[in-house]
Amino acid sequence: MSTLTAAPITAPTIEYGELAPMLIIFGAAMIGVLVEAFTPRYLRKSIQMPITVLSMVGAFALTVWQGVRGVRSAAAMGAIAVDGPSLFIWGAILLLAIVSVLLINDDDHFVAEAAAVPGSAEEDQALSQGGAHTEIYPLVLFAVGGMMLFPAANDLLIMFVALEVMSLPLYLLCGLARRRRLLSQEAAMKYFLLGAFSSAFFLYGTALLYGFAGSVDLKAIATALSTVGGQDALLFIGAATLGVGLLFKIGAAPFQAWKPDVYQGSPTPITALMASGTLIAAFGALLRVFWVALGDLDAEWTPVLWGVAILTMVVGAVLAITQTDIKRMLAYSSIAHTGFLLTAVVATGKESQNANALSGILFYLLAYGFATVGAFAVVTMVRDPGGEAGHLSRWAGLGKRSPLLAGIFALFLLAFAGIPLTSGFFGKYAVFAAAVAGGAVQLVIVGVVTSAMAAFFYVRVIVLMFFSDPAPEGPTIAVPSMGTAAVVTLSAAATVVLGVFPQPVLDLAHTAAQSLFVR
Amino acid sequence: MELYVPILVLAVLAAGFAVFSVGIAPFTGPKRWNRAKLDGYECGIEPTPQPVGGGRFPLKYMITAMLFIVFDIEIIFLYPWAVAFDKLGVFGLVEMVLFIVTVLVAYAYVWRRRGLDWD
Amino acid sequence: MIAMLAVPLLGAAVLVVFPGPARHPWYGAAVSGVTLVLALALAVRFDHTRAARPQFTVDVPWIPGLGLRFHLGIDGISLPLVVLTALLTFLCFVHLVRHRPEQGRIRALVIALLVLEVGMTGTFLALDLLLFFVFFEIVLVPMYFVIAVWGGAGRRAAAVKFILYTLLGSALLLLGLLLVWAHAGTLDMVRLAQAQGAGLSRAVQIIAFLAIGLGLAVKAPMWPLHTWLPAAHTEAPTVGSVLLAGVLLKMGTYGFARIAIPVLPEGAAALAPWLGAFAVAGIVYGSLACLAQRDLKRMIAYSSVGHMGFVLLGLATLTPVGMNAALFGNIAHGLITGLLFFVAGGIKERYGTTELPRLGTGMLARLPYLGSLLTFACVASLGLPGLAGFWGEMLALLGAFQPAAGLSRPLFLVFMAVGGVGTVLTAAYFLRMLSHLTHGRPPAGTIGGGSRGAALLDVSAYELAAWTPLVVLTVVLGLWPKALLSLTDPVVQAYLGTR
Repeated sequence: MSTLTAAPITAPTIEYGELAPMLIIFGAAMIGVLVEAFTPRYLRKSIQMPITVLSMVGAFALTVWQGVRGVRSAAAMGAIAVDGPSLFIWGAILLLAIVSVLLINDDDHFVAEAAAVPGSAEEDQALSQGGAHTEIYPLVLFAVGGMMLFPAANDLLIMFVALEVMSLPLYLLCGLARRRRLLSQEAAMKYFLLGAFSSAFFLYGTALLYGFAGSVDLKAIATALSTVGGQDALLFIGAATLGVGLLFKIGAAPFQAWKPDVYQGSPTPITALMASGTLIAAFGALLRVFWVALGDLDAEWTPVLWGVAILTMVVGAVLAITQTDIKRMLAYSSIAHTGFLLTAVVATGKESQNANALSGILFYLLAYGFATVGAFAVVTMVRDPGGEAGHLSRWAGLGKRSPLLAGIFALFLLAFAGIPLTSGFFGKYAVFAAAVAGGAVQLVIVGVVTSAMAAFFYVRVIVLMFFSDPAPEGPTIAVPSMGTAAVVTLSAAATVVLGVFPQPVLDLAHTAAQSLFVR
Repeated sequence: MELYVPILVLAVLAAGFAVFSVGIAPFTGPKRWNRAKLDGYECGIEPTPQPVGGGRFPLKYMITAMLFIVFDIEIIFLYPWAVAFDKLGVFGLVEMVLFIVTVLVAYAYVWRRRGLDWD
Repeated sequence: MIAMLAVPLLGAAVLVVFPGPARHPWYGAAVSGVTLVLALALAVRFDHTRAARPQFTVDVPWIPGLGLRFHLGIDGISLPLVVLTALLTFLCFVHLVRHRPEQGRIRALVIALLVLEVGMTGTFLALDLLLFFVFFEIVLVPMYFVIAVWGGAGRRAAAVKFILYTLLGSALLLLGLLLVWAHAGTLDMVRLAQAQGAGLSRAVQIIAFLAIGLGLAVKAPMWPLHTWLPAAHTEAPTVGSVLLAGVLLKMGTYGFARIAIPVLPEGAAALAPWLGAFAVAGIVYGSLACLAQRDLKRMIAYSSVGHMGFVLLGLATLTPVGMNAALFGNIAHGLITGLLFFVAGGIKERYGTTELPRLGTGMLARLPYLGSLLTFACVASLGLPGLAGFWGEMLALLGAFQPAAGLSRPLFLVFMAVGGVGTVLTAAYFLRMLSHLTHGRPPAGTIGGGSRGAALLDVSAYELAAWTPLVVLTVVLGLWPKALLSLTDPVVQAYLGTR
């Protein structure tokens, strides 16, 4: 007892100001839970929505302010890094989350009574009474908070906590689609089981690396690489299992199996949030772990990531060709894009090279995020009697029914394909240029060939929309709500602007990447 | 690395023993079946009839179990703070209040949604 | 200068916003006419004494973060192509005034063609590698739509083939550009060309030339990467075929002359024999394939493969003579094949088919003007001295007779001999076709598709207006080749460092 009390304890410090954007989001989420608890049912939505959006806007404003002030530090005793890349990623995630929330706010994407058995009388009753789970909003806020913490975590334990905070709400949200309940529940179950499995890998890797370095701090692990000897087995197995956990989250092959099922089954607005926000967050975390903690081990992990990148690009592009469901196709395309992004992750070298690769990745993530949110927003608007018209054949002739919508969707597809004057081209160019400069020429060869293959199936959808005869009882085009219309317009505008005048955003990404990750 | 060799040896021995015992039993042990032996074990009393697949379980058991775990862990966090609250000073107090508020919010939600009612 | 790009772009944008003007038959023609006037104004103000230097340059940073500059300029080798592009687009629109597509959607077609013009002109004007690529890609999308929407019966398959081949080609091109950028550190074509490959190791040059070359060869197209071409040509509408043959193919060979050879001289030297071999293979293959064709448009398409073979052979010699031949051949082929496709389109409209057996004989007797124009275009295409087609082929063979130092002379002599055989074969298939189609007695009663029967109209005023400039230019360039060669020669000399 005496020894315990005698030891001096210095109280740790937490820089609340620097973490404010995240704290706002988490605080708003807590308030959201209280709103659920204490306000009458009919008021909830009209309270939740402003709280969610305002907190995100506020957090975004604070992020911008910090970026302007030039905050670059490791907060909370070095456990959370508030550096250039973090701020850029926060901004990107918040922007995309705001856009996604506008989509989420639309009625009738979500189930009326999640606990009711699909197709049962209880479900019908809940539906007719206009039931709704407004818990969606706090859940989204928690998920977004987790997304912000994940790439900023400078410590494997914090990273793990963030991973769970980000994933758990998403597991739930996946299962809340109003239509095709069984598919949605299946998606949630799959995502949860596989996600839990990958979390276990992540945790196992953390434990092993702790065994190796005696610390979970990324910087300490980096130092231990050169000072600790004779523990290679721990290090390699730890790095490998940690990598598996992270690669699962970005959906790189061979850990991509969850993506199509989850993207297809989830409510489309949630798919949009996952496809943009989660990908960005997970890439940030992946970069931080591999570049900061394991940066000096690149000779060992580079060949593995080469293989993963090639496999991911090929699997994504090839399997996308055979898809008949629009959301599954977009999921495979997201896998292919993950592969393109990985080419730049591998391209490490001197500091300036790293900064270039990083800024390319950041720009690509933002450009892809906007295009993908926009594309999923369009998907929500094309409807069959039983819900969204998922099957590609239902999209035939959409260009004749609704030229504007089809034209905008074509724009997003062209951006995915990387046609010049859309955001996708410069994103891809920046990433591939970094990869070539980093000496990964063979990887870029695979990249350009698979991106040409990928372009083929995007173009195929365009052909289908514009040149096929419409199905006789084709899908109806829902009249977009204000929110959905705003989402589509914003995303399309972002895609065009980033395709024609990407300079400001490139500058921003470049400045953010210049200092690299705080060590 | 040498430090771990004894642990490894021990692990191998343990695994070997387990595999050996399970593997050898069918060959050496006598086999005398009766109905009681094949039944599920429920503290020695007659098994309650169950539907196929175990049947459905009221969700309230799970909610109660989860709430128990949440408060259990809250207590665990409170112990170290209680031991050193004076040395941690204001920082410790603020963090602890934040932590308890977080749990309270969840508690309020469960309470208002009647998660605490048994019927 | 910028107006060259801005006018068609604005024209297209106006149509996107206001559907009204599209119904006016002269809208597209007016917009492209203004562009043509601008191009001609540029040609007039162009300082011919300094043809080697890019003139009227515009150089503003566009996306400094990626090293992309909006760098445009015009010199001796791009000026003719820019004028050709403006001319052919204008003529296409004139053609469209009377010949509305059956599928309708005229507004979309006008937009597509105008965007196409922006892309094509931009490709020839760009002096920045990435900008070149951007324009190069912009061309793909509208062309794809032109084939896929307004094409013939097999348009879907043809369009898919077109987009697949060219997308793969551009992917390789991008890879090559990235390699050059990574090792030379700049994307400025002018500086890269002046550097003559300095700073690029031999291995890098070879790989980059291979990637860029393959990308461009798909577009050119070089045998055996040509298989998209006949399908696309056959199925595309007349205006599509004209622009495809007249301009799009030139983007490939222009890329060789502008980027691949001057920027990567060592890579070019190493791979030139292969280029030459594929080129002559293309010449012979193209002519043999033509002999076997039963469809007029398909035949013209294969003849393009042969002619682009001559252009590529000229490039492969790496000599001033050969390069000049290639650039000359480019223009000549654009004019002549443009004319051929116009005429073929006219025939299709009248007879309802372009299949040779069904067209019957005796066109000269039946439709004297159309028949004569077809004869003229074919004769020009087979390289009759005194017409534009002759010089390109003759000079290419001459270049092969004396290839650049470092290239195997015997090998190129073989190329020359095989190419010579190719010219004979070319003459053979065109003459065979002409003798079958234009001469002889018109069959009694109905012809071909036949519903319109006996009352076939000869060349209309609009057609004549669209075709005459091509005929005139073919003759002018045939009689006075120096007009063009004096433009291209200084640039070529500068690129090859022979002056």
